[in-house]
Amino acid sequence: MSQPRSSYAVGTGLFIVLGFAALAYLATQTSSVANVRQGDSYVVEAQFTNIGQLKERAPVKVAGVRVGQVQSIALKPGGDVADVKLSIEKAYDRIPQDSVATIFTSGLLGDQYVGIEYGSSKQVVAAGGTLARTKSTQPLEEMLGKFFGAGGVVDNVGGSYTVKASFTNVGTLSAGAPVKMAGVVIGSVQSVHADPVKLNADVVLAIDKRYDAIPDDSSAAVFTSGLIGSQYVAIQPGGSPDALKDGDEMILTQSALQLEDLIGKFLVNGSPGDKKDAGAGNK
Amino acid sequence: MNARAPQGNNVVTQSLAQIGACGLFLLTLLGAIPRSFRYLRETVRQLWFVGAMSLTIIMVCGLFVGMVLMLQLYHVLSIFGGTSASGMVVALSVYRELGPVVTALLFAGRAGTAVTAEIGLMRATDQIDAMEMMAVDPIAYVATPRFLAGLIAMPLLCCVFCAMAIFGGHLVGVTWLGIDNGTFWSNMTAQVDIHTDIVNGVLLKSLAFGAVVSLIAVFQGFTTPPTSEGVAYATTRTVVASSIAILALDFVLTAFLM
Amino acid sequence: MTDTVRATPDDATLVRIRGLTTVLNGKTIFDALDLDIPRGKITSIMGPSGTGKTTLLKHITGQMHADAGSIHLDGRNVAELSREELYKLREGVGYLFQNSALLTDFDVFENVAFPLRQHTKLPEVLIRDLVLMKLQAVGLRGAARLMPNELSGGMARRVALARAIVFDPQLILYDEPFVGLDPVALNQVLKLIQTLNQTLGITSVLVSHELAAVQQIADHVILLAKGKVVAQGDPKTIADDGSPWTRQFFGGEADGPIPFRYPAADYATELGFAGAAK
Repeated sequence: MSQPRSSYAVGTGLFIVLGFAALAYLATQTSSVANVRQGDSYVVEAQFTNIGQLKERAPVKVAGVRVGQVQSIALKPGGDVADVKLSIEKAYDRIPQDSVATIFTSGLLGDQYVGIEYGSSKQVVAAGGTLARTKSTQPLEEMLGKFFGAGGVVDNVGGSYTVKASFTNVGTLSAGAPVKMAGVVIGSVQSVHADPVKLNADVVLAIDKRYDAIPDDSSAAVFTSGLIGSQYVAIQPGGSPDALKDGDEMILTQSALQLEDLIGKFLVNGSPGDKKDAGAGNK
Repeated sequence: MNARAPQGNNVVTQSLAQIGACGLFLLTLLGAIPRSFRYLRETVRQLWFVGAMSLTIIMVCGLFVGMVLMLQLYHVLSIFGGTSASGMVVALSVYRELGPVVTALLFAGRAGTAVTAEIGLMRATDQIDAMEMMAVDPIAYVATPRFLAGLIAMPLLCCVFCAMAIFGGHLVGVTWLGIDNGTFWSNMTAQVDIHTDIVNGVLLKSLAFGAVVSLIAVFQGFTTPPTSEGVAYATTRTVVASSIAILALDFVLTAFLM
Repeated sequence: MTDTVRATPDDATLVRIRGLTTVLNGKTIFDALDLDIPRGKITSIMGPSGTGKTTLLKHITGQMHADAGSIHLDGRNVAELSREELYKLREGVGYLFQNSALLTDFDVFENVAFPLRQHTKLPEVLIRDLVLMKLQAVGLRGAARLMPNELSGGMARRVALARAIVFDPQLILYDEPFVGLDPVALNQVLKLIQTLNQTLGITSVLVSHELAAVQQIADHVILLAKGKVVAQGDPKTIADDGSPWTRQFFGGEADGPIPFRYPAADYATELGFAGAAK
């Protein structure tokens, strides 16, 4: 062909090469290629009381190194714990049976992942086995994890009952704010009033009737969703055999905290816990 | 060519008739693909015009989008001490939305209008009829190569746009505002998923947008009345219709892909 | 004037049109038109503006289909051909557009080479020679590397002619080849049309208003009006025909069978005088 045509061809060729180079750059330099690399793997189960914002395909890490990903998350049939299946690469088949699976957050604002801390047992967990020792998301982490999404509002199909709680400081808590237990919305704040005699805030909580077995020594705390989110009331279950009834007052309360206090609390609560939410009792 | 602008009584029926005619035109275009293989050189030439010639505007705009995005995010995120995440947020917003959408809008303005005006003028000066008379199928020779070129060029341009946006973000974030280089990249690589963000976001979306913009541009060129006034109207319609189609399709794709 | 070179003895007619009827946007363009175009001659189709002369050419090449009637080109019914057959047929038909219709993307050489490149796999050397021969024939070999926008109207017309004859067609349709040309360029094109017809025996169909030019070269003149042939014959006899149509057309009278006024309601009524008189 004549000269001008071949210059088109060269220019177009350069354009295509540049386009693919840009694609290769995006794919290799700015994304986690590791997320698609999935070799032979085996499945291990772990149960958590609260998985926070953990999603399927979230990474599973040992000592910060990726060893697999979350395969599925489901509520254990008939129970109130989350059943999480972890798909772990075959190369890492020597995980001790007493290892602890913990839900962590990458950085302050990142997604959550499952971290496995090795135990000392000689026995390794087999394919299809269960990691018995787990640690769920912790209050601050949970709150930070909710940075981008507020909790849903509970539907009131089953009706609700009300309990009272007094706080010395409710921060910016207002009527309609969610009431949560273990991170799940179970009711809403019906009203917030100042008590003219005791000089503190009386808060009336409307709790869904389905949650009628909350121990009467449970504590109520005013938390913030994330660093700038709206405030909500969190209920930490106590150990009493008697349940809260309509019209009861919650004795143990914890007022809205400053950010500094929250971080202090987080550091204190960072001790290894059991399957229960760490630090539930000492709030 | 006997393609004609559809007639209608009011805006609604007219728009529906346009969409219908456009759909039928797409079938004609696709049907002509086997015949247009003989005109591969023409496709390459069009790829040069719609793709390579759009590179400058795409690169400059990509750079500035990345820079301004980083600047905005830095100031918002610095309130919460989360500036280390700004690189990641730039990457995600560019890959998922801004990259494909802005590239497609620029592409409609730069290449779509040029294609419409060119085909309209070819019709006005009887060049299309002349091809018919020289026994060259104008659909296979004029329409399909331009459509295919747009289809190929858009994802490539979008990749270039995204790369430039990341570069712009890096320039402002790391070089100017002092975000740590390692943090910038590691946060990005940790959060950007090759499947949902790059394949679904960058490639699939831009491919769909490229098809829509090219189809509208070629269709408007072929159906406009072959007068200078008709060509002017068709060029405007290409930009308006493409922009609406891009944003509407973006919503649908986001809903399905995310 | 010229002898038919390629005419087969059994058929002196290249294009035969019978009962052609076309309605465009509610307006009847052709009304059962019968028309024959003799082989190897220059036939001129004349008629007032808007009689559909260009439409007729598009019917002959199959670019537009008629509502009724048949068109046989070299014995084949144009309307019944498939796309491939039609394209094959068109390779043997040259068409000179009113505004030349050169491809603006390519230079003169590539414009003339375009049909060859699209339909043949000739080696580059051969294409070059063929194109230069055709350009030499129209006197523009030196302009081979100019772009279409650098050409004058007359030069563009001649390039388009070179392109139209690059396949040595048996029929060339000229759509208003003299429009907008200065007298020199007009005579150049005129001479080319005549030369092509005489030397190659190409059947030529000429749509034009230039009476003087037509009378100079045409062998056969067909006068169309109101969708029908109103007069035909060789240029001399048709001018002396004496029918009102030919008298008006060749005499250039403002009013006659071709009305000066577009059909309208009664003038006085429309102005309101008829009503006021009551």
